Amino acid sequence: MIRRGLAGFVVVFAVLAALPFVREEIGLPVFYLTLASTVLFWIAQATSWNILSGYSGYFSFGQGAFVGLGAYTTAVLTGRRGVDFFWTLPISAALGVILALAVGALAFRLRSFRGEIFALLTLAVPFILASLARVNEGIDGGQGVVVSIPEFPEQIGLFPDFLFLLNLTIATAAVAAAFAIQNSRFGWALASIRDAEDVAEGLGVATYRYKMMAIAVNGLIGSVSGSVFALQIGFVTVEGVFGLAIPLFVIVMSVLGGRSHWLGPVIGAVVIVTMQDRLADAGYEGWRLIILGAILAILVVVAPEGLQVRLQQRPWISLGAFAGVVGVLAVLRVWGEPLDWFAAGMVAAAVAALWPARRRRAVPAGAAHARAAPVETSTESLSIERPRPVLGDVVVEIDEVARLFGGVRALDGVTVGIRAGELVGLVGPNGSGKTTLVNLLSGAIAPTRGRIVVGGQDIRGLQPHRVAHIGVTRTYQIPRPFDSMTVLDNVAMAIMFGRESRSLVDARRAAGRQLDLVGLGHRGDAKPAEINLHERQLLEMARAVAAGPTVLLLDEALAGLNPVEIDQAVRVVRRIHDAGITIVIVEHLLRVVNQLATRVVVLDRGSVLADGEPQAVMRNPEVVRAYLGKHAHA
Amino acid sequence: MSTVQAILSGALIGGMFAVMAVGLSLTWGMLRIINLAHFGMILLGAYLTFQIATSWGIDPLLTLVVTVPLMFVLGALLQWAFDRFGVAELNSLLVSFGILIIVIQTVSNVWSADFQRMTGEVNPYATGSLSLGRLVFPAPTLLAFGTAVVLVGAAHVVLQRTFAGRALRAFEQDRSVASAFGIDHRRLSMVLAGASGATAAVAGMLFALSNALTPSTPFEWFGIVFAVVILGGIGQILGTLVAGVLVGTLSALVSVLWSPSLAPFVLFSAIILALLFRPQGLFTQGAAR
Repeated sequence: MIRRGLAGFVVVFAVLAALPFVREEIGLPVFYLTLASTVLFWIAQATSWNILSGYSGYFSFGQGAFVGLGAYTTAVLTGRRGVDFFWTLPISAALGVILALAVGALAFRLRSFRGEIFALLTLAVPFILASLARVNEGIDGGQGVVVSIPEFPEQIGLFPDFLFLLNLTIATAAVAAAFAIQNSRFGWALASIRDAEDVAEGLGVATYRYKMMAIAVNGLIGSVSGSVFALQIGFVTVEGVFGLAIPLFVIVMSVLGGRSHWLGPVIGAVVIVTMQDRLADAGYEGWRLIILGAILAILVVVAPEGLQVRLQQRPWISLGAFAGVVGVLAVLRVWGEPLDWFAAGMVAAAVAALWPARRRRAVPAGAAHARAAPVETSTESLSIERPRPVLGDVVVEIDEVARLFGGVRALDGVTVGIRAGELVGLVGPNGSGKTTLVNLLSGAIAPTRGRIVVGGQDIRGLQPHRVAHIGVTRTYQIPRPFDSMTVLDNVAMAIMFGRESRSLVDARRAAGRQLDLVGLGHRGDAKPAEINLHERQLLEMARAVAAGPTVLLLDEALAGLNPVEIDQAVRVVRRIHDAGITIVIVEHLLRVVNQLATRVVVLDRGSVLADGEPQAVMRNPEVVRAYLGKHAHA
Repeated sequence: MSTVQAILSGALIGGMFAVMAVGLSLTWGMLRIINLAHFGMILLGAYLTFQIATSWGIDPLLTLVVTVPLMFVLGALLQWAFDRFGVAELNSLLVSFGILIIVIQTVSNVWSADFQRMTGEVNPYATGSLSLGRLVFPAPTLLAFGTAVVLVGAAHVVLQRTFAGRALRAFEQDRSVASAFGIDHRRLSMVLAGASGATAAVAGMLFALSNALTPSTPFEWFGIVFAVVILGGIGQILGTLVAGVLVGTLSALVSVLWSPSLAPFVLFSAIILALLFRPQGLFTQGAAR
């Protein structure tokens, strides 16, 4: 798939690259190549931005920093130091990557970092670089830098031809990179970060590393393309490259085109640049930014998924609108030139694609189906007393663990050893520290004191994805599926990035089996939004099991279910346990805990109140008191 | 001596940044809307002050009679639209960025991109100043600081003491619970957004008193105002005033000791450090959650 696609890019590149050499023969004015250069520059920029901000959902306002870095590198090195233009490209690439990694290392360090804070932080970076450039005489000094036209091979006719080829090369490389990333592990990891970052981390995705890779690619393409931009504008000023115009344009282009697909920014760049050019040509200079701003404000509300998705849904209507408008204008010949017709056709196609459809969304096929079909096909009976599993070595050792939140003691002096094959019910009143314990075991938070050892390895200070690879995964009380992926791919994600990393094809095949284990095999193609709460909770379990844990943490996996659904879920938990996975289940329903657990641990106000056989623990007077109040047992 | 003068002037100018930031901080903190269009409203307020004072020949302070109600309505309408279309957080950043661009371009189409300044005849404050020994304080900055203290103080009292203020704070902490207790969040949000629009009108007037106007000025405010909002703690209005003074002093100091061009560098580095080590704001006590 990837190889075939990349071959396609080579063909497109070859065809377009031939244009400067045959333009006189086919009567194409040089002006068109100049416009195409601008389009290609913005394709490269928007694509570069989209690899970080579209794919991973971390919105950056800092694209200008990379453009400016590249432009100044080339301008200063060629103009003041006499370095050959082609040598400045790898230098600005390297500088771009270094800057990107520096920004990323700062911004992604904190795990709780929120998206809008990242956006504001990236807003600051170009301002900082701008003030440095303005002060430093060796770079700019407030005067701007003139860029001289470099020498280029004779075979390439004019300077615009040369620029076109440069921009074409970079844009093709950028789009091909975006395509390859989208269809590889890297792209899947970024999509999971966009959908639910800590869930992805908990399933074994090294989110920090992937975010750093994404911002590095962003910086690399952005600054190399910025180098060529310096040639294109001929005179580099601080305001021109570090201003907000560049982030504004790339954001509008990507939002218009669509942010989750490599084609989105390409479509957005073509539409916006052509439209801006035509508006300027027609003398509506003062309206350009107003239209741009309006497109951004309206599209985010009306069609946040972008043109690419809409065009895919209505290809023929849009194509018809485009062909119709261009055809009519070409036949009538009363207005404009061919480029105007083309621009008008594109606007018509975009409007046709974006026009709000009458919502015909009846009940999604899945919802009705789910109610009709029995989810559970197993004949296993609930009440049969099962043989006690053979217990193995201690797999989880919680040793004198304490966790404070500010001054609040969520857990203190907790010591519990869990042996392989156990199914531990973790119970306790609200606020007793159950969820804190689950968060500690999954590595989401670190203990203030004490030690947690899993499979012989101390997990203190390890990132959650490392803990997942050691063998602990968890579910969330409120299911948090990756919304943009199908149910099957949700599970495939966990397999791909789980304990033994697998290819997507392998993972998808194995994911089907995991869904069968929880009785969701028939819902594989549905999106998470289309399935009900019960099914989502089962998906949550399937996904956590798919990562290949030795210990599975179920955080109130049965909350909010009706009695029938609970029985089904209980059977699923048993089946997972029978598959040899040690389970810790947090649950409020004592009936369920009694049925399932081989051992019960009761927490009360942050410490272990009782620990042992379910029946014995439930009769323990202190447990009764903690649950029912001081005087209940008297 | 000039350093002392710079520090004091910077602190006073910081008052204007606080007035600019307070509305932004409130809508961000309470309504979870990062309203970049707020900068557009400040710009519009400044230009309207200029226009009304110049063509009617009235005192610039009196223009508030027109601009404050107008911006209140604009702010409330915008909030109504945000609410109606379910725009919040990151999307609000994008949508309001689009609106800001529209405002800037419209202002540029109406008043041209050239600098505009109120003449000395209509603006008696431009030349006035107060001297204390060898220190000189221009009237506009004194006015800005005084306004900031009054505005922030009043907003603080309203939020702490009145029913609407308590309702808003309840709403900030837990929307669904607050709604369940019968708080009409729509009306409250519109009033709050309207009020922050009104502060934008005041901020615009203060800016127009001592500065020449050009449509692209909002981009110069971005950094400083966000610095004030973030350093002060999002939604913390008293923090905004303190942070405004701090930021004003810091940039004045950097300008005097090194170079005015380096002020943004120091300022943004300060924001980044603050974001990394105290993302909840410098003066907020305890963790954000």
